[in-house]
Amino acid sequence: MKEKRSHSFTISRRAFLKGSAATAVALSAGILDFESWAREFKTLPVTRIPTICGGCGNRCALVVSVKGGRVWKIEGNPEANGNRGAVCPRGHGYLHDMYNPRRITGPLKRVNGRFEPLSWEQAFKEIAQKINILLLDNGPETIFWVNYPQVNHEYALRFMHAMRSPHYFSHGSTCYTARDAGWNFTTGNLPSSDLANTRFAMIIGRNPAGGINLGQMKDIVRSRDGGMKLVVVDPRHSETAILADEWLPVRPGTDLALLLGLMHVLITEQLYDADFVSRHTVGFEALRDGVVSYSPRWAEGICDIPAETIRRLAREMAAAKPRALIHRGYHGAFGAQYLNSFQTARALAIVNTLLGNINRTGGTYFAKSADLGPLQPVHPVPGGPLVPKQDGTGIPGRYPLGAYGDGITHAIPELALRGKLKCGFVYHNNPLRTNPNPERVIAGYKKLELLVVLDPVMSETAAIADYVLPVSYYPEADEAVDNKHYGKQAQVSIQQQAIEPLFDTRSGFSIIHGLAQRLGVGRYFNFTIEEANRLRLKPLGVSLEDLKRRGVVPVGDHWEEGFEKLDTPSGKIELYSKTLDKLGYAPIPRWEAPLVSPDEGDDTSFRLIHGKQAIHTHSMTANNAYLMGISENYGMMRLWINTRRASKLGIGDGDLVQLTSLIGTGNVRVRLTEGLHPSCVWLPSGYGIFSKHLTTAYHRGLSYNDFLPTFFDPAVGHAMASEVIVSVRKVQDSD
Amino acid sequence: MARYGMIIDLTKCVGCHACRVACQNQNGLSDTEAFNFLEEREYGTFPDVHREFQPMQCQHCDNPPCVRVCPTGASYKRSDGVVLVNEKECIGCKYCMAACPYGARIIMKEGYVAKCTFCVSFVEDGEVPACVTTCMNDVRMFGDLDDPGSDISRYVARHRNRLHRLKEELNTRPRIYYRKA
Repeated sequence: MKEKRSHSFTISRRAFLKGSAATAVALSAGILDFESWAREFKTLPVTRIPTICGGCGNRCALVVSVKGGRVWKIEGNPEANGNRGAVCPRGHGYLHDMYNPRRITGPLKRVNGRFEPLSWEQAFKEIAQKINILLLDNGPETIFWVNYPQVNHEYALRFMHAMRSPHYFSHGSTCYTARDAGWNFTTGNLPSSDLANTRFAMIIGRNPAGGINLGQMKDIVRSRDGGMKLVVVDPRHSETAILADEWLPVRPGTDLALLLGLMHVLITEQLYDADFVSRHTVGFEALRDGVVSYSPRWAEGICDIPAETIRRLAREMAAAKPRALIHRGYHGAFGAQYLNSFQTARALAIVNTLLGNINRTGGTYFAKSADLGPLQPVHPVPGGPLVPKQDGTGIPGRYPLGAYGDGITHAIPELALRGKLKCGFVYHNNPLRTNPNPERVIAGYKKLELLVVLDPVMSETAAIADYVLPVSYYPEADEAVDNKHYGKQAQVSIQQQAIEPLFDTRSGFSIIHGLAQRLGVGRYFNFTIEEANRLRLKPLGVSLEDLKRRGVVPVGDHWEEGFEKLDTPSGKIELYSKTLDKLGYAPIPRWEAPLVSPDEGDDTSFRLIHGKQAIHTHSMTANNAYLMGISENYGMMRLWINTRRASKLGIGDGDLVQLTSLIGTGNVRVRLTEGLHPSCVWLPSGYGIFSKHLTTAYHRGLSYNDFLPTFFDPAVGHAMASEVIVSVRKVQDSD
Repeated sequence: MARYGMIIDLTKCVGCHACRVACQNQNGLSDTEAFNFLEEREYGTFPDVHREFQPMQCQHCDNPPCVRVCPTGASYKRSDGVVLVNEKECIGCKYCMAACPYGARIIMKEGYVAKCTFCVSFVEDGEVPACVTTCMNDVRMFGDLDDPGSDISRYVARHRNRLHRLKEELNTRPRIYYRKA
């Protein structure tokens, strides 16, 4: 049915005028005024191009709609494991960054404290000259690369290996390395949680509705509709807790006590899967003896969850086993949070084991991930590093449980200050804002002889760089094929160009490629992205053309239930770990208190915890007017504080308070809530931008990193990001 | 004759705001203009707490007060039930904004009033509104309430007792039905 007065697509005059890029596109298409441009826009054909999102690390598969040379909107690719047709708010909002007038439009070089433009060729030449001299004087291992993992991170690693440096870093030590280590020392690898088929799910600290994961949320909602019980353990009534049957506000930093209590009940009441445990684990007797004293009553005294609740939940999960699980976790409660995070992750893996759910339907399973093909023998393998990483990951006596592949990213400033690192690249990462203790981070990064930042905008880190190389946004560039969409069946996916770059920017791959050529390691990058992609797809039996047409393609066999030899020294699940014993760490999980705790005799003393909101990715999206508009409209930058604790301090909803820790101080408005454990205050992450170039976000809200000292957990080397006590006091707006 | 309607399942919304930004893109809105809103509520006392997000937008009333007060006829209801604003006839007097009991209308910087359109120009081409497809939790369902075979009609038949409309006492007869647990 069509009507005469049918409302049609709105094109605002401002949308036409804003941003020289859009106007330039319109003009280049021969369209001169708004009326004709709008008329033309309505009737223009829409081109739909499958690709993957660059808005966070999930790399969701999208279909980008292009109209009149401009990206109009995105939709989720329904075939993709990771997002199954959905798109999150960041994904939609992130599109506008591409049209942001604050974008960097070409390579920049710092000259006498100011940035000046230069050509790509000149930038590559100068950077290469400086690096060659620095490495000649200091050794090849003094160069580093740090990135938030992207589709092309394997090429970044290859680049460092070609340079013979071990120093490739991810952001892991500020995010998830304790969780990974806990699982690795128990089951050999990090598994996934089969939320789609489980009957009982407990989620500890993880908030997939905020630190958003679309596929997991789809599974949770559908399983819940089918009768799954959901229990959320979190000091804060998280957005995932909204969906839960029960919310258990645990005292922050004591999740380990809850897990020990659950183990105690599962074992003493003989509720565990004895057959599974006897066949597939080592060290059960030691575990049984070790948890004898961790009664639910004991756990209640530590973690504030009633003993009866712990006992009941252990029985409920046992009744549902093996289709019962505790979510594998992420940053949340034990990714890189507390002194006890490694043992918390171990304990969590062990409770899953006692439920007999490892690699079982509805339990914890090793997802299928696409095995991308090698570049050799067509292209040679770089020689690789000559020395181990200087951060001490994997080295006995230093951080033996640390993740060598990730490195300890927040050690880069320390290594720079000690002269171990002289030059480096920061790509799709902003350590000045996302690492703890910014003063120390700034001092470290400024100590470098050469800092090159690959970023589309002038982030805090870019603002102190010697060179800034502007990276294209994902719709502007072809990139490496990707295997991020793992699951019950592996999928391969691809980022492909949807529009011509709006400015003189390049893809991450192309920048790595260009640098390699000038640095004398071009023989390891003697291929185009297309040639490399074809080689990597070859063993999967997928053509590049087919992949580009579909965006994601399933490959390989479907996952099947069943226990196989694990990547642990015993090949089994290690309830008791000889390796840990030899290294001097508790071989079975035992109670360890957090490093610091609030002073119970001081009404102003709180633990500062933090978490993500669905609308923001790290510090990357705070400057986005669409997303920051939501933060502003809904008061989402506020600090959460328990109503009862606040009233003792005379603090009302919306009042301004001052937070003070050992290293920092800052003012922020509060949200009074009943949905928070009284011992802590909660700060959303992603705010507190201090790059004055990012005008929308500048000095709005606070970052927990401003209060967090530089810590290295003594086993894993992670940041212990919630080991920080703050005092809270009301201040007047004029203070 | 189609009669479009929507279900919003309050037991599933976690307040992520994807609907708002998807709608802004679909409809070419600026960052300060939005047709979707969220109302958040917190119930209970620690540790027995519940929170709820209620998505808000034009309710596409069968008896729309905004249409009655419009002096120029810019606000109108189509025969398929979709309530729209003809921006060319709108003089920006904001009577409709005052009359709308749901606060669903906004004034654009150009001076005309706008709001959720149920993405009707796309729906006519066989698409589904952007707020529906983007949602990870399948909070919304959109369809033809006059077609007894449609998903939405079957849903209404099955869950009738759990569905309510906002401010029913005003006799606005919205075409958006909310589901509570």
